[in-house]
Amino acid sequence: MSQSALAVELKGIWKRFPGVIANSDINLKVTSGTVHAIVGENGAGKSTLMKILYGMQKADEGTISINGSDLVFNSPSDAIDSGIGMVHQHFMLADNFTVLENIVLGSEPKNGIRLDFAKARKQISGIAAENGLAVDPDVLVSELGVGDRQRIEILKVLYRGAKILILDEPTAVLVPHEVDELFNTLRDLKKEGLTVIFISHKLDEVLSIADEITVIRQGTTVGSVNPHTQNVSARDLAEMMVGNELPTPDAVGDTIQDEVVLKVENLSVFAKGGKAIVDDISFQIRAGEIVGIAGVEGNGQAEILDALMGIESASGRVQFKNEDITNKSTRHRRELGIGFIPEDRHRQALMLEAPLWENRMLGHQTREPNSKGIWLTPRSAKADTKRIVEEYDVRTPSIDVLASALSGGNQQKLIVGREMSGEPKLLIAAHPTRGVDVGAQAAIWDHIRNARQAGLAVLLVSADLDELIGLSDNIKVLLRGKFVADADPATVTPQDLGTAMTGAGEAA
Amino acid sequence: MTYLKSRRFIGAAFTAITMLSITRTITGNGDLTSTVTIAQALVFASPIALAGLAGIWAERAGVINIGLEGMMILGTFGAGWAGWQWGVWAGVLAGVIFGAIGGLLLAVAAVTFGVDQIIAGTAINLLALGLTKFLAILLFTNAPGGGQAQSPPIKGEIPTFTIDSIVGPLTTLHEQGIFFISDLAGIVAGLFYNLSLLTIITFLLFVMTSYLLWKTAFGLRLRSAGENPWAADSLGVKVVQFKYAAVVFSGMLAGLGGAYLSIASTIYRNGNTAGRGFIGLATMIFGDWRPGGTAAGALMFGYIDTLRLIDTGNQNVKGLILLGAIILFAIGGIMLRRARRNSAIGFLILGSVMIGAYFSATSFPPEVAQVAPYITTLLVLATASQNLRPPAADGVPYRKGDHH
Repeated sequence: MSQSALAVELKGIWKRFPGVIANSDINLKVTSGTVHAIVGENGAGKSTLMKILYGMQKADEGTISINGSDLVFNSPSDAIDSGIGMVHQHFMLADNFTVLENIVLGSEPKNGIRLDFAKARKQISGIAAENGLAVDPDVLVSELGVGDRQRIEILKVLYRGAKILILDEPTAVLVPHEVDELFNTLRDLKKEGLTVIFISHKLDEVLSIADEITVIRQGTTVGSVNPHTQNVSARDLAEMMVGNELPTPDAVGDTIQDEVVLKVENLSVFAKGGKAIVDDISFQIRAGEIVGIAGVEGNGQAEILDALMGIESASGRVQFKNEDITNKSTRHRRELGIGFIPEDRHRQALMLEAPLWENRMLGHQTREPNSKGIWLTPRSAKADTKRIVEEYDVRTPSIDVLASALSGGNQQKLIVGREMSGEPKLLIAAHPTRGVDVGAQAAIWDHIRNARQAGLAVLLVSADLDELIGLSDNIKVLLRGKFVADADPATVTPQDLGTAMTGAGEAA
Repeated sequence: MTYLKSRRFIGAAFTAITMLSITRTITGNGDLTSTVTIAQALVFASPIALAGLAGIWAERAGVINIGLEGMMILGTFGAGWAGWQWGVWAGVLAGVIFGAIGGLLLAVAAVTFGVDQIIAGTAINLLALGLTKFLAILLFTNAPGGGQAQSPPIKGEIPTFTIDSIVGPLTTLHEQGIFFISDLAGIVAGLFYNLSLLTIITFLLFVMTSYLLWKTAFGLRLRSAGENPWAADSLGVKVVQFKYAAVVFSGMLAGLGGAYLSIASTIYRNGNTAGRGFIGLATMIFGDWRPGGTAAGALMFGYIDTLRLIDTGNQNVKGLILLGAIILFAIGGIMLRRARRNSAIGFLILGSVMIGAYFSATSFPPEVAQVAPYITTLLVLATASQNLRPPAADGVPYRKGDHH
């Protein structure tokens, strides 16, 4: 459409893995100095494509040309040399290193053999100031929050002189105002003449930032649109991604019953130094009710969930139906019918190096269909895993592959399927659809809603405020370990919630 | 930063000397801080320190090296055999090379094939033990001065240095028995008495390691392989090469430690390492995977070992018991100030028991001292483990291209 130069051109890219074709005949043209979004469902092949462009994996067929010349990338350093930088979905940072060490690693300024810390500090501050990315180079990364870490990732890329930035689902972990900050940064970068490739499945965001959008479905490019010249809606894009009509994402109806399923009184969790991370909170959830907790990550959500599951020690009282479970073990709680979708799926929900069907047993190992008496029953567990894979649309070649082979969204679907099995009475869920694409997201919502109809009580923590508002019957806003406000999902907007979460609008 | 570090170092040294001095004054046992004791402690500490340093190199690159003991054994054998054949420096070289072979074996198993690192290391320990016993029988049985379990004497000696102008007056000062001053004099004199060139090399290796791993780009890359190899890979760091380099160098250092042992006892003997590889590993953990702390840990082990071995009339062990009690009381006091009451009470009770033992018994069996280093390590690990910062990806198998 314009004569301006192409920063990246991919022609006929194919990539096959055992049992799966990740990319088939991908064609992509990215104009220099634009923000180009690539959208597609989980497992559509976006991440694989970007890994190929960044030299982490090699395409089986096809050509990559950068600024008009054909290149072959054998490793990320080749890509870096051609001016390509990648901001990964899971941050690639060493927690025990300082910001400076993380940024310069691999291309350190040297003075003889000595690493020139003074020069590095100066360069980083320079780049940071130019692009409005404030960081302190000498703090340890382990002390930083999500937004800061992402800024470091972007700095890492800029430090290497990248002219083409790949951002892999950068907004998945951010709260609304952080997303705004990121987009401002991206617009600045564009002004500086940089090219940004932006991978996402959040279509509203894509429409607000992208100059051009390419849609990938089932490993292949199905079309490109220009949101400036063509009139496209998020719904149009979603239908291109999924390939058919979408289910509507809200079906609110009052299903709250009288029975109180979970009653929490004066719950507190303390950090090592004695500081309260969760500060004397009380609430209850009735059967058929979904209570949402809104809050910026790190305000005590994870600790509340862990305390309710008996993983973290806490003071206060927790009652499940008529039983006081304050001092009961995690296993006991699970056996009572409490399902748990944790915040960090790799740490708490999966054994990455075990097959899917063994992961199906995890946390449910004392119950059917996974065991009878003291014996495990792999056959029925496998059959049930197949059921989950089908019902929750887990994209996998078989149930014998390792959990680590699945993409993040598909891992999440498996976890949700597992935790919704065995008719739980209470579901404690953190970000149930994190990393999951629109189609599957709607399916997970439907599963939760149907179970709620049948009397499931849900405690929902989510960074996706639309999800929180769309699903919850009640929303509580958590700030520094305390509930600071209640919100009615029928009337509240994501902006209002965002304000309350940061404590900016105390009066609200 | 450096200012703070040197202040901490001086503070720690001051505290240690004060405690030794108190113990020496109460027991009236001048041996505790004598020139000879300290000089010998350096000899005992060096092989352990080298093993600990070897551990730092491997684990900073993310490979747990349980095989240190085995690599040390290979080093003792290499030094005994080559030292007997071609002299002591050939022995040092062979010890280093044999250790490097052990390191290479671990690298192939753990880095290339992703074998569980604990199992690979243990296999190397068993292999080294069996192989050296077998080779000893094969090579040394009929050699003059050798036997089934030991090599003939190593030819030649490593040069040692004594600076008389320092040692003489300071030793005299030590014999005066003045609180603190005499003890400091004895300790300083010990550093310049019969100081082996190998000990100096060990010291230089520690300095080199601190500089290389923490001040250079090479070190940053090597450590990144132990902190987050996936991130390092994404930035073009050749993770596998760094891991190989680190583990092989780790083997070389452990081998040098083994060579030191053989040379100090002038022969190779089966079982000469006596678990020093594992103790080295413990000093590395004690030292929070850093050279300074590791050296301090090794000195502690070397010192206790020395007191046990030069013990006349069973008085040194008694002194150690008192020293232990004083240390326990000191830690108990610190815990009390940090409001960790339960740990404080534990330490104070333990300290009281030791004080009681000190005053009620006239002598202790030397075995008590033999277990002392192990008990110390356990205590350190039990109290300090929460503050330790091991490399984040230590022991995690890494495969290129894997996302994490």
